[in-house]
Amino acid sequence: MIRKLLFTCLMLSLLVTVGLAQSKQVTGQVTSKADGTTLPGVNVVVLGTTKGTTTDVNGNYTIQLAASENTLVYSFVGFSSQTVQVGDQTTINVVLEEDATSLEEVVVVGYGTQREKDLTSAISTVKSEEITRMPSAQAMQSLQGKVPGLQIVSAGAPGETPVVRVRGLGSYPGKVVGQNNENPLYVVNGVFFDNIDFLNPTDIESISVLKDASAAAIYGVRAANGVILITTKTGKFNQPAQITYDGYYGAQVAQNVLKMANSEQFATMANESGSPNDIAAIGSAMQRYGRSRVNPNVPDVNTDWYDQTLRVAPIQNHSLTVAGGGENTTYSVAGNYFQQDGILTGNNSYERFNLRMNLDYHANDWLTVGGNIVISNAVKQAPDSAVWNDVYFAVPTLPKYDPNLTTAVPINYANAQDIGYRNGQNPFPTIDFIDDQYKTHRFLTNFYVKIDLIKDKLTFQTTYNNGSSFQNRRKMLLPYFIGTNFKRENASLLRVNETSVNQIWDNILTYNGFFGDHSLTVMGGVSFRDEAYERLTATGVGFTDLSKENWYLHQAQNISTDLVDDAGQRYYGLSYFGRVAYNYKDKYLAYATFRADGSSKYQQTWGYFPSFGVGWVLSEENFMANSGFIDFLKLRASYGVLGNDKINASSGSNVTSQILTVFGDVIASGETTSSTFSYLKWEATKEWNFGLTSRFLNNRLAIDADYYIRDTEQAAIQVTAPTGETFNRSLGVIRNSGFEFSGTWSDNFSEDFRYNIGANFATLKNETRDIYGQAYIDGGSAEFLQRTIVGHPLLAFFGYETNGVYQNNEEVAADPVAVANGLVPGDFKYKDLNNDGLINADDRTILGSFLPKITYGANVGIGWKNFDLNVDLMGQAGNKILNRKRGEYNWTSDANMDADLAKNRWHGEGTTNDYPSSAGLRRVWNLKMSDFFVEDGSFFRIQNVQLGYRIKGAEVFGARMPETRISLTATRPLTVFKYNGFNPELGNGIDTQTYPIPAIYTVGLNVKF
Amino acid sequence: MKMIIKSRHTVIVALAVTLTMFATSCADKLDEPALNVRLASETDYTKTQNMIRPLIGAYAEFYTRGWEDYPLISVRGDDVNAGGRGDQQAFGDTDLYKYDNSYWMYNSVWQNLLKDILVMESTREQIERYKEFAPNPALADQYIAESKVMRAFLLLQWSRVWGDIIIPKSSNLEDLFAVPLSTKEEVMQHISDQMDEAIPLLPTVHPRDRADIVGGVTRHTALGIKALANLEMGKFQAVADATGEIITSGKFKLETDYYNLFKIPGKLSQENLLELQYSDLGTGSGTSFSYLFAFFGPENWTPKVTGASSGWGFYEPSMKWIKFMLKRGETERLETSVLFTNRGITEIKKDPEFATLPAFVKNVTRSGDQINDFNREMFASGKHYLPSDQLTSGRTAYGENKNFICLRYAEILLMHAEALTSGANSSAMTADAAVNAVRARANMTPLSGVTNAQVMDEKFAELAMEWGTRYFDMIRLKKYDELSYDGRTFSEDKAYLPYPQGQVDRLPVLKPQ
Repeated sequence: MIRKLLFTCLMLSLLVTVGLAQSKQVTGQVTSKADGTTLPGVNVVVLGTTKGTTTDVNGNYTIQLAASENTLVYSFVGFSSQTVQVGDQTTINVVLEEDATSLEEVVVVGYGTQREKDLTSAISTVKSEEITRMPSAQAMQSLQGKVPGLQIVSAGAPGETPVVRVRGLGSYPGKVVGQNNENPLYVVNGVFFDNIDFLNPTDIESISVLKDASAAAIYGVRAANGVILITTKTGKFNQPAQITYDGYYGAQVAQNVLKMANSEQFATMANESGSPNDIAAIGSAMQRYGRSRVNPNVPDVNTDWYDQTLRVAPIQNHSLTVAGGGENTTYSVAGNYFQQDGILTGNNSYERFNLRMNLDYHANDWLTVGGNIVISNAVKQAPDSAVWNDVYFAVPTLPKYDPNLTTAVPINYANAQDIGYRNGQNPFPTIDFIDDQYKTHRFLTNFYVKIDLIKDKLTFQTTYNNGSSFQNRRKMLLPYFIGTNFKRENASLLRVNETSVNQIWDNILTYNGFFGDHSLTVMGGVSFRDEAYERLTATGVGFTDLSKENWYLHQAQNISTDLVDDAGQRYYGLSYFGRVAYNYKDKYLAYATFRADGSSKYQQTWGYFPSFGVGWVLSEENFMANSGFIDFLKLRASYGVLGNDKINASSGSNVTSQILTVFGDVIASGETTSSTFSYLKWEATKEWNFGLTSRFLNNRLAIDADYYIRDTEQAAIQVTAPTGETFNRSLGVIRNSGFEFSGTWSDNFSEDFRYNIGANFATLKNETRDIYGQAYIDGGSAEFLQRTIVGHPLLAFFGYETNGVYQNNEEVAADPVAVANGLVPGDFKYKDLNNDGLINADDRTILGSFLPKITYGANVGIGWKNFDLNVDLMGQAGNKILNRKRGEYNWTSDANMDADLAKNRWHGEGTTNDYPSSAGLRRVWNLKMSDFFVEDGSFFRIQNVQLGYRIKGAEVFGARMPETRISLTATRPLTVFKYNGFNPELGNGIDTQTYPIPAIYTVGLNVKF
Repeated sequence: MKMIIKSRHTVIVALAVTLTMFATSCADKLDEPALNVRLASETDYTKTQNMIRPLIGAYAEFYTRGWEDYPLISVRGDDVNAGGRGDQQAFGDTDLYKYDNSYWMYNSVWQNLLKDILVMESTREQIERYKEFAPNPALADQYIAESKVMRAFLLLQWSRVWGDIIIPKSSNLEDLFAVPLSTKEEVMQHISDQMDEAIPLLPTVHPRDRADIVGGVTRHTALGIKALANLEMGKFQAVADATGEIITSGKFKLETDYYNLFKIPGKLSQENLLELQYSDLGTGSGTSFSYLFAFFGPENWTPKVTGASSGWGFYEPSMKWIKFMLKRGETERLETSVLFTNRGITEIKKDPEFATLPAFVKNVTRSGDQINDFNREMFASGKHYLPSDQLTSGRTAYGENKNFICLRYAEILLMHAEALTSGANSSAMTADAAVNAVRARANMTPLSGVTNAQVMDEKFAELAMEWGTRYFDMIRLKKYDELSYDGRTFSEDKAYLPYPQGQVDRLPVLKPQ
């Protein structure tokens, strides 16, 4: 076979040589339409061949053409390609137009690239300009609202990663950080990652979201949650060094700050609570801190704890890139510094310094070598997330400081225990006496050798990829004394060292062939994976000297052996995969991939993942040729199978663990053996996708639409046993289905005035299809139940529906339910859903899902002369949020509450029919899981507004000023929602201890030297 | 051109060979075992010296009790009130016999008991596998018997609180879904039968004299639990026989210092048949095993040793019980059981009958800790109090290093007396002798010809605030009027807690028919 191919190659080369005999020369220059600059590195190719050249530093090119060759194609990333008939011309100057929707563009797919025009599957690509428009440490954050079918749930804490979901939820979401098994697979320059928080967004060239199974199936067992391919920036051949500075500086401001009850409202609530202790506590506060002069029945303290703990925090980012290339080499070198303080006061920040280098070298006409290196160093200071509960629950009648507390060390923060509450409540000790530092070093390296076995037809590439992460955590809890029950006696130091080294060796053979009207790409490869992970944890208690130099374990007086943990995992994977793409006359497209994945993780070693797709370009058909307004119309259909290996290897097996105890004051070591059982098979996700890609009215209007049905079979679900322990079960079938639409329109009013409008939306229906005949499976916690029922979404909130509030004693006396349960006016009425005259567990129902039924985004861009304005909007609807902060009154009721709850409480006949009374808020009857706590999570947001001004060709003091762009950006300046919380964005829909998401205002500068 | 092709040919061949080798060599890696997970299936059961490890694990889990377990089990009697006053209102409501099965504590305590019962099942299963290879299979039988005794104690508490429950028969969580409901009677009979199986296999020494597991379970522990179960069933002869056997063994004696029985000197006392063991290992910092005694502690105090933490104020001896004790002229037991605040003392004195109080009724304990007034309670529990001067220097948590007594000889004696005054016979000891032994230690004058009512009063005085004994006594004797006190109204339907909603949702067998 190879001999045959070589022979063909030889023949073709001869033909080319023959053709050269009667050649002519064409020269010219390529410039950009937007600003008239010359474009280096533009590909100039003879149509239908791979013969071509690229423009030099000044945008000039020269090409020899055979007599038969009469058409040249000019293409450049980010610009619409242009095709020119040569005719008798010898000088052809071309002006290329920038175009984000160009179909000639090449899209990164698994282990290769494809023209967007040729795709049969659903892939959305986002370019660097869009990624960097929004200031964030996390590239994925900027995709929010941009890609239909991709749900991004923002994270507020510095250095935290947003939740990313591709097309709904097919796997059970993990509860523990690090086991977040709903994450998609990120492939950065070929290396697999669970998370790309270490990447600098300005280093990213493009992000491709492989949404459907057909696109993702080439990644086999890792692909069930979707695959996101990321390529970092490279230089271009024949391009002079371009030095670019890109940066911004700004401020983050807490937004939609939740209004808590003030002292007056709180005192009123307490006095109405019927709880002697809470009434007494108001008295104690007045005794200790005096009475308010305005209202003598209220303590003279009115602390707004959010006001005390939130701050305006800086954010900044600076990148410097040098990129370019010569005849045989391209390079790109960049450095980046990012810094962000959290909006929570105290030790709470994220800082990252990245270096990146990319090099490609054509060693000779058949050998190319190259590599990428990204080095990332980050330091994160994490707050104790418990502080968000403290701030919510701290009573307003407590001041921040208490001058009476003379014995307090090191600072006299007030103690709520002194006025009769069970806990100290003051959030400041939690904020101040912690230093939780994560130092993370991450390396992403790859080296490749590419051999052209047959020039432009058959290439072999071998790549070694290494993604390594070294994380060092040092959590120091410092001692303090505020009261005998509000103190930390001994300093304690937690050290965690984590090392993870993931190595992948890919070997890929790719064949591209043209046979008349037929074009064929065949790729085959083998990949070996080695994923090693180690973690060492130890805690030391008691430090004589608390200065930072002594924050080392050996300085501790005591190191508990039961708090030392040494853990590790190592998995191996071996995969064979292939892809075939066929194209007939650019009209009929066929596509298929296959992957066989072997993993050491499960007893079932091998999994097989096929996919196929077909496309029909109607606009190439003769019958469509005359419909003037259609430029391009393609129908697509695809199917694929994906696997999921995010389930822990030990799931399904009983594990023995060590446990310590004492007998007669002597320590003894024993063991327990778990009794969890799990029936685990490989999860398999099967998906059908039907889509349409189209361009109308001179490519000004682009419409893309997709419909998909995605079934996860044998999905592993966490089930809560009667003991409260959880185990996994291969549960059945979860279906996600939805419709995705995106449309863009771009046009010019005049030479100086251009605009574009884009809109997208996606629907999602998440449905449990089968749970092996069981009625339901319960998750969530016992008090905040989430039930999975066939025909309903996964883990839907489950509880009672309220039906007003009892207003008076007559109403109570007339209702047998109220009498039976000893209710009083101010208590909730619940709906008797089964009409049996009783209110009991059988009256509970599905209260909604945390998954939005619809997500949408829109974009408006306007350019006028040197000004440009971009506005991004986004939102979601149809999801529910469990306001667990309110619900946790069930656990502790001597605490503050939000102002909405206090103001609207029932306090007499006719005051409200929606809220319980203050006393009622202390009764379990009213705190049952109900629609009172499950609120509408819809929101609409102005996501990002950016105004830019470009200075070009200006002279300052006689010298040419570099091209400069100044921008002002407002991120999330406005969010509109009904939910009674800070923040309607919650990954699992449960609001407790959530870090608020700030608005960000920045000034940006981009200079090209 | 030709040159290149030739060299490429070589490259291709070389690559093909490399790839094939690489692929096959890597395929072996797929069979590598997982690192750092100790799968139960990898345990080497021939190493029988490790056979004790699952048993130690069982004790560890048995001792590690959720803080809410004991309060919920024991709060409903007329000896104790919930305290708290506002916070954890549903806990207070439980004390008032107003139950709501959605309250988190119900589910949590149910889970804690059930989880540990499954641990005992798993322990039994593990030891049975060692037994096959054990040179001394009798030792395996003894270990299994020990786990059965702990399991029985947990089942007893569980059924006392909820009545009819399920009896898990294996450690497999899935099997739980198929276990039928057993009546309280069946549960108690099961416990009694299990103890009969265990008794001959257990050591006959005092728990503190055990060499391998100091303070572990012995034959008398099993006999004591058998007596408790039979008492619940009203099988008084079986109670008299079991308690009689403990008495005649001569291994147990009442601790002379009642006050310190519940403090550090009482750890592994000659009086104790079963206790939850805790320790700070004698060090001022670092590893420490403890129950959360803070729950019981006064919220505001001036400890003799400064820096000692106060408690949460959730467990208050009832006014009824204090007055009952004062009327009896009790000294030692009242002083030991109650921490008085001035507010509480004023409240007692409001009753003209108690206008003058004995000198020991004051807000400073015998050990010198001063109890200040606080909103939540008027009194705090003395049996769960550790004087600040008994804390290891450097430790400050309330009650740290104290053990938690589960079953002591005084209860054995009083059960014996109750059985004899309820019609049972025994040659081990007379009812008078048993009651008077307990009274003598408390500096109370002896009685003669004790009646059943006197025995029950003695139990009330001696065992107040211990494991809800008083409440469960009143339930089984149907003396509901005793439970209607201080504004509460008790009725028979309130005897057992409703099944937690979280459990009804998961175990269909608990659904009301």
